[in-house]
Amino acid sequence: MLKNVVVYTFLTVLAIVMIFPFFWMLVNSFNSEQNIFRLPPSFIPDKLFKKDMFENYKVVLKDYNFARYIFNSFIVAGLAAVGQVFTCSLAGFAFARMKFKGSGIIFSLLLMTMMIPVQVTIIPEFLLMMKLNWLDTFLPLIIPSFLVGSFGTFMYKEFFENVPQDLEDAAVIDGSGPFSMFLRVFFPLAKAETTTLFIIAFMNNWNDLLRPVLYISSENLYTVTIALTQFQSEYEAQWNYLLTGSVLSILPLLIVYILLQRYVVEGLTHTGMKG
Amino acid sequence: MLFALFMSFTDWNIMSKPHWVGLSNYKELFTDSAFFEILKNTLVFSMIYVSGALVIGLLLAVLVNTKVKGVRFFRAAYFTPVVTSAVAVGIVWGWILSPKYGVLNYFLEHWLHINSPSWLGDQKWALLTVAFVQTWKMVGYYMIIFLAGLQSIPRQLYEAARIDGASKHQAFWKITLPLLSPTTFFVFTIAIIDSFRNFEIIYTMTQGGPQYASTTLVYAVYLNAFVFYRMGYASAMAYVLLTIVGLLTLLNFILKKYWVKNVY
Repeated sequence: MLKNVVVYTFLTVLAIVMIFPFFWMLVNSFNSEQNIFRLPPSFIPDKLFKKDMFENYKVVLKDYNFARYIFNSFIVAGLAAVGQVFTCSLAGFAFARMKFKGSGIIFSLLLMTMMIPVQVTIIPEFLLMMKLNWLDTFLPLIIPSFLVGSFGTFMYKEFFENVPQDLEDAAVIDGSGPFSMFLRVFFPLAKAETTTLFIIAFMNNWNDLLRPVLYISSENLYTVTIALTQFQSEYEAQWNYLLTGSVLSILPLLIVYILLQRYVVEGLTHTGMKG
Repeated sequence: MLFALFMSFTDWNIMSKPHWVGLSNYKELFTDSAFFEILKNTLVFSMIYVSGALVIGLLLAVLVNTKVKGVRFFRAAYFTPVVTSAVAVGIVWGWILSPKYGVLNYFLEHWLHINSPSWLGDQKWALLTVAFVQTWKMVGYYMIIFLAGLQSIPRQLYEAARIDGASKHQAFWKITLPLLSPTTFFVFTIAIIDSFRNFEIIYTMTQGGPQYASTTLVYAVYLNAFVFYRMGYASAMAYVLLTIVGLLTLLNFILKKYWVKNVY
């Protein structure tokens, strides 16, 4: 009994440490500009349950254009996630089910790329995008996801390797070639893998800051992350709006996390596992 | 990547054509005192991050591995920061830590009567603060990996130990830790690699400042390449970074056989 009390105390204290910043973010997003700078800090925001409760949200979404930025982030992250699923499922299928020369070496090289910090490859990538005249478009944020993805390929490969040979044989007897076999038999089986990869890729691209900072300069193409950092440097004192923007920026991911927790946690922990 | 290697031997500022300058970028790097400060910052950041990942990650995992009601909720709670963006995390911590209106300093000064520094504006504290926030954000991730490791240890071993009269402590040091060593090794390797991924949090919280106090290699690559447009110099830095990551990982794998039990 006493042991349980100790465990719960620890668990609760740590939960407060982990959750408090998000709670504080939410509380302050319902504060007016005067109330947020009040000392001592008030734990009850002055706009809560008032008529103009959501005024900060209105201002940020409309006047500061965050509706647009969130929409942009959805486009970029959504398309990039589609790209990852498309490329990785095909590559994983090829590595798992086809014999070709050097497949082992290519696969290990692919896994090694997981270790390389993005800063090493970003400079050549930037120059390439410049040569292609893709600066200040969404293309540099989306196209790289269509080219390669070590984690997703690894995950699909593991799954496809365990599909019974009989299924493949049956498909061959029915006269389907490798591509239609992939499309009709293998891909539909991997629903859980597809969901996981889609979520993880969406999350990574939604949260990415480096690429938007480098490639996007027009305001109407901003993603949510770069918009927040810009807002931070331009309107330094307007913390209530800044925190409102932060809440908006993490809300979609939090909803996904709460609804599809299993996929998120599993996908993230398998990143690089067994690598 | 090969192109980046080639570039590290040139002076290129995007506008002009690259000139071959041999090793001079590397020479400049290793004679620049600021570069050594950056290297030192990088190592300090990594050490805090990796030890936090190992110690606190394991501690959390042991805690949420107990069979009490509602433990799933706590697991989920500890994992929440992992899924949110470093930008939002950086912003809200910036607000909590802000010297005058921040809730932390208010608490420290008025309740505990401790004079607290300006966490992000002080040269002594900025790097430590940023490293703490990044560790806070990611620790739930390592917790989940440790948890998977803990749950794969056969229960019979603990029962046998209890019958033999071993205390909980002894069981932890003699059974849990040795059998967990493959997981620990994995977390260690991943955490080292992850500890170099700190661009976002530094960009949002300090922009590498004050002066260079919280600039790490990763951030310095960005600064030199895309703020000062010294592509060649930045490429040389990126290669130093890659070498460090590679060497550490290699070293790790060499040392592996001395402390990782092969149980599977």
